[in-house]
Amino acid sequence: MNSPAYTSSSDPSGKLEKTHLRLGFVALSDAAPLVAAKLLEFGHAHGLTIELLKQPSWAAIRDKLLSGDLDAAHSLYGLVYGVQLGIGGPQTDMAVLMVLNRNGQAITVSNRLAAALDEHKTLPAALATLGRKPVFAQTFPTGTHAMWLYYWLASQGVHPLRDIEGVVIPPPQMVDALAQDRLDGLCVGEPWNAVAQERGVGRTIAYSSEVWPDHPEKVLASRRDFVTRYPNTARALVQTMLEACRWLDDDVHRVEISRRLAADEFVGVPAGLIAPRLIAAGSDEKRRAVKFFADGVVNYPHPAEGVWFFAQYARWGMAEWRDDFARIASEVNQVELYCEAAANVGVSVCADSPSAVLVDGRVWDGKADLAYMQGFSIRA
Amino acid sequence: MLRVLLVTDTDKPIGELRDTLARLGYYMLAATASPQALHKAVESERPDVIIVDTESPSRDTLEQLAVMNATAPRPVLMFSNDANQQLIRDAVGAGVTAYLVEGLATERLAPILEVALARFAQESQLRERLAQAENELAERKLIDRAKRMLMDSQKMTEHAAYATMRKRAMNQGVKLAEVARQIVAAADLPD
Repeated sequence: MNSPAYTSSSDPSGKLEKTHLRLGFVALSDAAPLVAAKLLEFGHAHGLTIELLKQPSWAAIRDKLLSGDLDAAHSLYGLVYGVQLGIGGPQTDMAVLMVLNRNGQAITVSNRLAAALDEHKTLPAALATLGRKPVFAQTFPTGTHAMWLYYWLASQGVHPLRDIEGVVIPPPQMVDALAQDRLDGLCVGEPWNAVAQERGVGRTIAYSSEVWPDHPEKVLASRRDFVTRYPNTARALVQTMLEACRWLDDDVHRVEISRRLAADEFVGVPAGLIAPRLIAAGSDEKRRAVKFFADGVVNYPHPAEGVWFFAQYARWGMAEWRDDFARIASEVNQVELYCEAAANVGVSVCADSPSAVLVDGRVWDGKADLAYMQGFSIRA
Repeated sequence: MLRVLLVTDTDKPIGELRDTLARLGYYMLAATASPQALHKAVESERPDVIIVDTESPSRDTLEQLAVMNATAPRPVLMFSNDANQQLIRDAVGAGVTAYLVEGLATERLAPILEVALARFAQESQLRERLAQAENELAERKLIDRAKRMLMDSQKMTEHAAYATMRKRAMNQGVKLAEVARQIVAAADLPD
């Protein structure tokens, strides 16, 4: 077996350039790896102390990464790629250090729309019963939830930019908005779908794993120059987070972390609403629960997966099509750093380029060209 | 006259800006305090500038409007290409963020931001950060000490000592540092 030859630019002594890191997160169940890393101090063995800073919005995560107030963060995959292209704000070179989780998000609709779906079977027919433009909420314009929602709606024959009104509402307020009949549906991370269902104001009708089985979701993100200036620190951080993800690969530990996530300083939702969807999503094989590790298969930052977000931005008119999307993604995703870190903590490296059949039947294998994007009948 | 919208949904005194800016001659729209009200206010009132606390939960609502309304026949709200980026960056650091109509001249924006910035002194933030760092350092030393005590007294490897402490932290629902504190305290008891 040949092992890849790494050309590391880091200090060969491995000395950490920085030992205290400020990490941002948003109040979601899939912040579990950061919370576990902090509570159990997985960083100490790698020379790091971690300070967790809860952020009230994804915009705050982005701005504080850019200003240097945060070293790294729990981030929507798409947020990193949006900043890399300069969509909606200043362009900055970004880095994806590793994938933190796959699956674990869902689409929940109002009881009224759920009933209409039961009766009329198709989404367009059900939406027509509302008698007005349906309103769907997601979490950030370039984020994962926007992309899962748009992709799913289009697969059901609903144009996300024309047939519905798309709004962004902070996740904790989405459930209230649904209860007050000001929303018809939402796409968000857990535990908020579970909270909506528990409060009896909506029904989860699609899990994100049904849109793209084992899709990448949150990533550990930083500015590119965090990696170039502090390579040993960045590697130590990936090692730390890999150990936290490995620790979460155990249902007992997921129940334990749910109790901790319930605290107001983290998610502020009862553990009983967090734990179930951390452990199982549905009985159906397509309804997969969140994955944090799976022997490291979860965490490899495949550039090919990043290209998907670029292709979708082009599809929805948020970015011009570029032929060099694959190159940009390979610069964002820190594969070499990840492989070094994984080897250091005994995590197997899976470099197989992923391939998946998405909800509309189209195959995503990372090979995006203009024809792929134009192959979508519903687009901007 | 520039139309300014203040978002007042955090407990910082951003609302006080209103009178100051009104005195400076800006047209102050009715303030909004929720993401949904904000969505409506932007569409119906068409502000030139929106000023919002960096920590506001409404930020992402504004991001959506800035990105997705680029082709719609309404004002494009975003970090202006013309704006002085350093000014924006300072503003973000000081706890205030502005969203403005693209192309709005920096000199028209500057007085608004300067007033807003004055409301958010950074000093307290720095003090907080220093205290936090010192606390981290102390906890780290404590955990290290507890770990070495376990390694000595139980003949454990470093790895096993960590695992034992983590297990106890989880079982008790406390931070690792608290477990370390207990271990050290127990050892300090007179025989």
